[in-house]
Amino acid sequence: MSTTEHDHSTTTRLSLNLDGTDRTADVDPRSLLVEALRDDFGVTAPKIGCATGDCGACTSRVDGQITKTCLRLAVSAEGSQIVTTQGLAEDGELDVVQQAFWDEQAFQCGFCLSGMIFAASELLAENPDPSEQDIRWAISGNLCRCTGYEAIVAAVRTAAARQREIPQRG
Amino acid sequence: MSHGTAPRVSEARPLAGSSVRRHDGDAYVSGRIGYTDDLSLPGTAHVVLVRSDVPHARITVDVRDASTRPGVLTVATGRSLAGEYGPIPNAMDPVPTGGQPLEIHVLPVDKVVYVGQPVAAVVAESLAQALAAAADVKVHYEPLPHVMDPEAALAADAPLLYESWGSNVMLSGTVGSGDVEAAAARSAGVIHGTLRTGRGAPAPLEPRAYCADWDARTRRLTWYGTTQAPHPLRHTIAEFLGLRERDVRVVAPPVGGSFGFKNFGHPEEYLVCVLAVALARPVQWTEDRASTLRYGARDSRLAYTASYDDDGRVTSVACDMVANHGAASATGAFGMAFAGSLAMPSGYQVPDFRCDYRVVVTNKGPWSPLRPFGKEAGVLLMETVMDAVARRTGLDPLEVRRRNWVKADQFPYVTTTGLELDSGDYEGLLDKALTVLDYAAFREEQARARGQGRYLGLGVGFEVLPEGADIPGALIGASDISTVRMSPSGDVTVLTGVTSPGNGNDTAIMQIVADRLGVAMDSVSIVQGDTDICPFGFGNVSSRGILTGGGSAALAADDVAAKLRQVAASMLHVDDAERLVLRDGFVSVDGDLEQALPIAVVAHALYTVGYIVAPDVEPTLESTRTFRMRNIRHHADDDGKIMPFSTFSNGIYLSVVEVDIDTGVVDILRHVMVHDCGVMINPRFVTGQFTGGVVNGIGAALTEEVLHDPDGRQLSTGFKTFLLPRASDVPAFEIQHQVTPSPFTPLGTKGAGEGGVACTMASLLNAVNDALSPLGASITELPAVPHRVLAAIGGGQR
Repeated sequence: MSTTEHDHSTTTRLSLNLDGTDRTADVDPRSLLVEALRDDFGVTAPKIGCATGDCGACTSRVDGQITKTCLRLAVSAEGSQIVTTQGLAEDGELDVVQQAFWDEQAFQCGFCLSGMIFAASELLAENPDPSEQDIRWAISGNLCRCTGYEAIVAAVRTAAARQREIPQRG
Repeated sequence: MSHGTAPRVSEARPLAGSSVRRHDGDAYVSGRIGYTDDLSLPGTAHVVLVRSDVPHARITVDVRDASTRPGVLTVATGRSLAGEYGPIPNAMDPVPTGGQPLEIHVLPVDKVVYVGQPVAAVVAESLAQALAAAADVKVHYEPLPHVMDPEAALAADAPLLYESWGSNVMLSGTVGSGDVEAAAARSAGVIHGTLRTGRGAPAPLEPRAYCADWDARTRRLTWYGTTQAPHPLRHTIAEFLGLRERDVRVVAPPVGGSFGFKNFGHPEEYLVCVLAVALARPVQWTEDRASTLRYGARDSRLAYTASYDDDGRVTSVACDMVANHGAASATGAFGMAFAGSLAMPSGYQVPDFRCDYRVVVTNKGPWSPLRPFGKEAGVLLMETVMDAVARRTGLDPLEVRRRNWVKADQFPYVTTTGLELDSGDYEGLLDKALTVLDYAAFREEQARARGQGRYLGLGVGFEVLPEGADIPGALIGASDISTVRMSPSGDVTVLTGVTSPGNGNDTAIMQIVADRLGVAMDSVSIVQGDTDICPFGFGNVSSRGILTGGGSAALAADDVAAKLRQVAASMLHVDDAERLVLRDGFVSVDGDLEQALPIAVVAHALYTVGYIVAPDVEPTLESTRTFRMRNIRHHADDDGKIMPFSTFSNGIYLSVVEVDIDTGVVDILRHVMVHDCGVMINPRFVTGQFTGGVVNGIGAALTEEVLHDPDGRQLSTGFKTFLLPRASDVPAFEIQHQVTPSPFTPLGTKGAGEGGVACTMASLLNAVNDALSPLGASITELPAVPHRVLAAIGGGQR
């Protein structure tokens, strides 16, 4: 990390592996991680719905852990591997959770999708056959104002069923 | 003609009523949809608003220090802009209906009327610089007494928010007909009561964001932002800036939820324009969560007197509504009090009815339009009255409703507020609900549970929602325009004036068009939300997306289909073009694929060899059509009533709750929903509207309330203090559809955008009170948060 004077403000160089690509940008050291991802790296899939860790719209996977990126300073992610919903698809093919969210109409405005998709993925990694209650608890760290959650629960159930049917990648 | 084994087209339109997926769903789930705040135009300057710390004060603002800070481009105040710009245009004006004139400025000129009201706009090269400089704006307040309670605001000596009004009443009025006092006097019994609703908030996950870009060379303004209503907004921006409408382009990228909040009339929509013109570069403002939550709704008191006869028939209802609007706004939100009054007496035959409403301003943040646009007041009132009559007469609450409903054979039915209900089958809704929920079994279970000290309750909520509004004098109309065009390769583009808040209406409109042209979904694309490209439209308000957007697209598609038939008839040497069927990508004679041409071939032929294949056919594969609801009436009848709504979706919900009488927590065990919005183009999208509405209703009934302290400060400024229901707070819903087609729409649709909120509020209120009834306790105020439930139990005979 190096610090430089630039345009009356101090910036810090931040290097990440973002959605599979090594990236570097100069960021305001006061920036939240979500702000840096959006404003300095131009990856806008994580959204800012509250900036207080309540809604989950800014969720990304940081070093394997799903993270509300509004609750971390950007500089704390130096050297991290970060995956957003933009980087989930492999070779342009949606992953099983993304596909189920589309098929089950599990979103309306779509603003909550980062949080919902990553929470669902994490649940399915730990529990291939979750109950309705498991699903509701797993996504309850995220807010959705449009769907009433019904279709999201259905999508997670569908993703779980499909995942059980296909052999695991890798 | 061939028989038997000859290949034929599908029998029916394949996409009608089919729950196809969102056409652009892959872009959504992979984070590739660009919302307003995701855009970044080169050279964008950033706005930070300095906000009032006090609820009511005269102000002077000193921006000298802030203006000299690094990166600052300008600092605007109400006073600095007042010489050049007047008040912003009103989405609806209370004056023609006897209300007060509204003069909302982009920034207040000399006084603030609520905590959090913007008083200055700092524009800088970066957001961080604007934030830093904003701390140096000095606001001097000369405090004035403030008033937060609407009934206190009605007192003769109350402080006045807008001195020229002479009172704090923005608008008052009366709806209804008959003589409620006389009816009550000759009835068997009379009930008096009061209902209160807490202050809710639309709270879409995406806060508002606006970006204006002024091109000084062409003198043209382009506006990008979170809006439901691009064309009405363009009209008002042009009016405000003194530009011709053609010199303003409004672009509405996908929005992260609206719920009424993102209709037009917010000061910041115009503020970014002023700043962009001043700086001749793009200027962007994105609000934070606290700002979003400063816009509220509901916060009303309904005092009522209802009379009934021994047979359970309601003979009269009189209601006095006092609505706490907070500060005035230009969004037309005050109309929610009027709509709530008109929504009474719902789908019930109440011969004598009156509602007096008063919209009162106080030193809270302004009201915002919020689905279902005030109609929950009418629903809550009538569903409370029905349950009260049941208790008084000893009849079952379901039976009381059956006895008072407008019957299926009485439509069209004119209510005592002057609305002509188009169609429906309310008893059918209830019958359907009872196939899902075994009512007698529940009552037995409830009795058993009570024996074990558990308090279960069942509540009914029934709603009739006036939709498809056309408000005289306002840019809210019951019509929309769509263009359908087919290219030489058979590609279809739909341009429409309705916008989508994310509900999928774009996909549903594509379904309608694809079916009528006989092409696959992937041959069709749609453009919404750009005033340079799309025909004029009223955006998405009042459940209009499919009603008028879908209706106009159907008419335009039928025109193009007729043209294709004409050309194909000539190419296939068929005399009667009516014999041609457009389906499965082919134009065929009577559906016979052995006498058929690909639709794309017909389109290409018209463009390229039209003089040969169809010399008498005008070579246009394009049509622009308007669909307007024909049952709107703006000329007042002898009673002075107009008919500003065109369609009436309805539904009934049964909620089963358990109330923990030690903690006051309400747990929803079951929620049975039956709704009727007429024909459904895409049932899954419709269901999504209702399940979303239900959870909005659960929030309004149980958890969501914007609170203020006595000093006027808003305490609910984020999602830790304004509690949206989470997935773990709500049960799986039991959903049924009933389809009673609208007689007034080409597709039989009625509009589904506002359903579920109001009847969920009512069913939960009634369920909680059913649960508490053995304790002699009841609640009359929502949300039924634990302290209210405990207070009610404490006040009962526990």
